[in-house]
Amino acid sequence: MTTTTQMNSHANDHRRRRRMGVIIRHVIINAFMLVILVPLAWVLLLSVKSIPDAYSGTLWPEVFDFSHYSFVLQKIDTLPRNLFNSVYVTAATVVITTVCAVLAGYALVHLDVPGQKYVVFLLVASLYFPVRVVSLISIFEIQRTLGLINTTSGLILPYVTLNLAISILIMRSIFEQVPHELIDAARIDGCGPWKTLWTVGVPLITNGLVVVIIVNFVTAWGEYLLAATLTNDQAVRTLPVVLAGAHGGMGQWAWPRIAAVYVIAITPGIVAFGFAQKLFFQGLMEGALKA
Amino acid sequence: MTTLSSSVKPKATPSLRKRLRLDALGNWIFLLPGLFFFFGYMVYPILRVLWMSFTDYRYLSREPAQWVGLQNYVNAFADPLVYDGLSRAAQFTLMFLPGTIILPLLLAVLVDRVEHRTIATIYRVILLIPAVIPGPMVFVLWKWLYNFQIGPINYILVEVLHIFTPQTAPQWLGGTSLTLPAVAIFEVWWGLGYHTMFFLAGLAAIPKELYEAARIDGANEWKLLWHVTIPRLRPILAVLVVLRFGSAMAVIDEYLIFGGFNRASPTYTWTVYMYDLAFKIGDWLQGYAAAIGWIGAFSMMFVVAGLLYIFRPQDG
Repeated sequence: MTTTTQMNSHANDHRRRRRMGVIIRHVIINAFMLVILVPLAWVLLLSVKSIPDAYSGTLWPEVFDFSHYSFVLQKIDTLPRNLFNSVYVTAATVVITTVCAVLAGYALVHLDVPGQKYVVFLLVASLYFPVRVVSLISIFEIQRTLGLINTTSGLILPYVTLNLAISILIMRSIFEQVPHELIDAARIDGCGPWKTLWTVGVPLITNGLVVVIIVNFVTAWGEYLLAATLTNDQAVRTLPVVLAGAHGGMGQWAWPRIAAVYVIAITPGIVAFGFAQKLFFQGLMEGALKA
Repeated sequence: MTTLSSSVKPKATPSLRKRLRLDALGNWIFLLPGLFFFFGYMVYPILRVLWMSFTDYRYLSREPAQWVGLQNYVNAFADPLVYDGLSRAAQFTLMFLPGTIILPLLLAVLVDRVEHRTIATIYRVILLIPAVIPGPMVFVLWKWLYNFQIGPINYILVEVLHIFTPQTAPQWLGGTSLTLPAVAIFEVWWGLGYHTMFFLAGLAAIPKELYEAARIDGANEWKLLWHVTIPRLRPILAVLVVLRFGSAMAVIDEYLIFGGFNRASPTYTWTVYMYDLAFKIGDWLQGYAAAIGWIGAFSMMFVVAGLLYIFRPQDG
């Protein structure tokens, strides 16, 4: 009898300790989650504070003022233009990079391409080299020769390369999950490589596509270094350059107003991710992280 | 395909083999769009900058650039700002790298054990939110958080906790000794979720029986982490350490956004010096700037080679 009660209390003890462990684990995880969310909540709150509240430093606004959003879009002359520039450059970059990555990833896995080993080696090597910094001087020269300095469209060309190597490698590892038999079967049925890619390949790689699109979207949408170097006029520039240069003062650029611009700038990415979240995680797990 | 068909049918007709070879060349069309950008805006510029570094190249000069041999490199090695720049970048890397590897690793181990599926999904979504905010946007946000006038960090330190007075409150990003740690903190914040996801993908591949077996043998949680989890995560660790080392040494956007071109500031690293020489200083010494760029890149490659050697795949 004594032994069973001892064992019982031992088991209870064990269970209680396990439950404590679970609680502590969740407390620690939630502390990290708070660290991630609080800065974003702060800027969201700042964008709806009245101007006196913003300057008094209080964290919770006494008066909610949602007028900053309409103000920045109507009263800051260049802002709609900057927003449009960002949308335009980002859309073009995402489309071009994704098409390049799908074609190359497919060819590297399912087609016989002489010299593909060297291509993969160069792509991987470029990930370890500080390309962005070192190439900047020459990219300025190229753009000047092509007459693309201080043009919005000119940014698209260097933007495509920002994530090109990693995008191709991601698509390559996604295509490796597509069985060779499927591709071969389509070819035996008489499909050419293009038709095979379009009808058999693309439907099977949607998760990877989502990853590549989001990764490229985020980089192009927020790019600063090239945009700040290759453009001068406020009307040509993209949103991040304008935001980085904005110093909170009074008037147009009062803090809550800048914060409203900020929220406008980061929301598309978060919303897009929210919608594509499930596909994105599947894509990550299927091999994007292993690329 | 070529080798396969020729080994199965050793006497393939020459025309068929020729056709396969032609097909293989035709397949290059799939790579061309990507390689056009890759060579045009990556490989060529890097080599072009290498060439510039051996000349007195200037954008604005009407004279063609003169070959000056190693002169730019000789000047750079005698230039104290080059050493300062490299050492500042290295200091930042040392502050940033441990945090951005260890914290996500621990967080991933904790999140990996969450069995409730909805809660696990919520955690993962929150983790990836910072990763879908572009880098420069993160820098701008933290520039405000650290701000003297409206920043909540100093507000809490001064008004809530009363640790400082408005006169003594820390100048986070003002080019003081606090600046690099302050930058390192938000860089860790930015990578926290993304790196955790990286490790979670690695953890998902570890068979759970390994843990059961080790627990039955009496191993405690720390031993499990050290002897089972970390060795299994070694490949992911290697990739993260090398990639983050590379990004930390070559940081430039943050320093341009916060620090500007004050040469005494800890944010004036080799990248900013290169940028300053190439685009801001009146002389536009692109040749010299190119040499500094390559010295920075070369020093980094040296360390990367060492890291790759340390993390080389080990048998057994």
